[in-house]
Amino acid sequence: MATTYRSLEIVPGETGYGRKYVWQAPVRLAHWINALAVTALFLTGLYIANPALAPNGEAANHFVMGTVREIHFVAGYALLFGFLLRIYCFYFGNNYSRSGFPFVWRKEWWADLRAQAMQYLRLERGHVHLGHNALAGLSYTFFVIFLGWCQILTGMALYSETNPGGFWDRLTGWVIPLLGGSYMVHLWHHTIAWSFVVFTIIHLYIVFFDSHQFRNGLITSIISGYKFYQKGDLDHDRWLS
Amino acid sequence: MSERLPSTYAVLEQHGVDRRTFFKYCTSLAAIMGLEASMVPKVMAAMETKPRIPVIWLHGLECTCCSESFIRSSHPIAQDIVLNMISLDYDDTLQAAAGEQVEEIRKKIMKDYKGQYLLAVEGNAPTRDGGVYCMVAGQSFLDILKETAADAKAIVAWGACASYGCVQNARPNPTGAEPVHKIITNKPIINVPGCPPISEVMTGVLAYILTFDQLPELDRTGRPKMFYGQRIHDKCYRRAFFDAGQFVETWDDEGARKGWCLYKMGCRGPMTYNSCPTVKWNAGTSFPIGSGHPCIGCSEPNFWDHGPFYERMADSVPLPGIEATPDQVGKTLAVLTGAGVTAHLASYWARRAGKRVAGKPVDPENTTGEVK
Ligand code: HEM
Ligand code: HEM
Ligand code: SF4
Repeated sequence: MATTYRSLEIVPGETGYGRKYVWQAPVRLAHWINALAVTALFLTGLYIANPALAPNGEAANHFVMGTVREIHFVAGYALLFGFLLRIYCFYFGNNYSRSGFPFVWRKEWWADLRAQAMQYLRLERGHVHLGHNALAGLSYTFFVIFLGWCQILTGMALYSETNPGGFWDRLTGWVIPLLGGSYMVHLWHHTIAWSFVVFTIIHLYIVFFDSHQFRNGLITSIISGYKFYQKGDLDHDRWLS
Repeated sequence: MSERLPSTYAVLEQHGVDRRTFFKYCTSLAAIMGLEASMVPKVMAAMETKPRIPVIWLHGLECTCCSESFIRSSHPIAQDIVLNMISLDYDDTLQAAAGEQVEEIRKKIMKDYKGQYLLAVEGNAPTRDGGVYCMVAGQSFLDILKETAADAKAIVAWGACASYGCVQNARPNPTGAEPVHKIITNKPIINVPGCPPISEVMTGVLAYILTFDQLPELDRTGRPKMFYGQRIHDKCYRRAFFDAGQFVETWDDEGARKGWCLYKMGCRGPMTYNSCPTVKWNAGTSFPIGSGHPCIGCSEPNFWDHGPFYERMADSVPLPGIEATPDQVGKTLAVLTGAGVTAHLASYWARRAGKRVAGKPVDPENTTGEVK
């Protein structure tokens, strides 16, 4: 099954590898804000849901739950601003920054999705993409972007409850009656939280697996921005434009 | 209008209430409604000049706890309210008349005060099988509700039943009980939820309607903001223990004795909007959390379906067909995912080992640009 997007024409050097700047700085920054915020949010969220440690003595001398909630909210804001930064990159960044978008109306996208899934199942190298492959893009779109916005919406709605009539109440307060009351918002927020664990397991495994198998500097690409490629690997220009 | 009802003050005067007592009464009413002192004259003027509101008070599928709460009003004592402030012309439980006589009264009010009377509904209507699961005087409550609502000025939905459905429409809701706003859609409805609502809140709502001749400002679920504008949690006197991280773990532990936060005992205070911590119950005596019991969230929609009262979040995930808590589901999915990637890795290694034996490269040469 052939996809129609272009193989890299740049001829790799003597070593057989080429190098290209793929992830621009704001994309990398957004990734790490995102990764740190989600980790902090999940861990503090678990404590909020089931506060295990109980300090003794006067209440006035402690602020354990208060501090954990504060971290959760700061990380929540970080997640939101990380998302906004990433949206900015989507519109003003290079083509790779748009490569994760699920182009469900394009045949090429579906073909790539199938091809990528088969490659993982058959343990074949296949064609490495400089940007995101369709399967990776789909997983980011569903787990991180879609469920991430669900968490931001429900989270901000819960956050707004301490300040009725305030900014977040007017912006996100409608979520509470929509889901059937504050309890249901907590329940959804808590349930969706686990999806980030599922995502992170898959994401880390795939990133390490691919990086090991492709030997294309995948892991460092999200730090340095550069990826390596071999002859036959796929660029994204045609597939996007 | 066929006849003009006397004002509240006129009635109070007839009952021998002096001017000074009347002042006090208006001031406490204003306080309950959360009004500034400068608004007291407005309340007084309303009491003096506005005719009393005729009220029809219907009882559907319910337990009468709303009425029980209402007649325990302390501030403007219930007697004053019931007998003076509003004219409670029809109430199955409180009226003196009985039988057919009573149904005639309802019909008469509906005719004489068409479009002017307030309809207070306690309980809700089962809708399944033509509403046969709640019959009053040979007529289904569903019919009575629709009939009486048709000419009402506005509807006050008392309690969790009328506002949201309460225990009658908890899953699986065998009688198809539905709250008032699901049945009547063309009238202004004010929800005064709670099981029961606080009596001072009930009288406060009526006082507001009388004073300002309009419904108070409502929140997104139709509750008056002045009484349901804030969470229990944000006004709870145990909140310091919550922020400190000091929680009661069992009913008889050290924390329980010290009055720590009831969060881990299933307190619904963080999810519940009501006035309990400020107005309190039984003439300001106490409220559930004040006596060591977690809030059960009785003024929230569908609170009976929100898991066991004494567990924080032990309900099943909000997905059909799955009866497990979010943590059970989450941990299972995490383990399955972990198993999945481990299996993938294992087969990769197995194959690699096999290939190495066969002397073949891991990555087949790939030069064609085709995806196989
Ligand atoms: C140490 C931990 C992590 C490492 C090493 C890592 C590594 C990477 C790498 C190498 C990529 C680029 C993949 C590609 O080229 O297709 C990537 C993308 C991505 N990762 Fe991570 N990741 C980590 C943690 C996380 C976490 C915790 C999350 C969020 C829950 C996350 C969300 C994402 C997203 C959304 C992308 C797409 C980036 C974009 O297009 O903006 N990552 N990650
Ligand atoms: C990946 C994103 C997130 C995860 C995994 C997460 C996780 C959690 C979890 C597990 C809880 C406990 C829920 C419960 O049992 O009641 C929680 C509570 C909460 N989260 Fe998040 N959350 C995320 C994002 C956010 C965001 C963006 C905000 C916005 C500020 C936010 C605000 C809150 C609030 C206000 C609570 C309730 C705290 C309380 O009841 O005191 N969350 N979160
Ligand atoms: S007892 Fe309930 S309402 Fe009070 S602070 Fe604790 S959780 Fe909040």
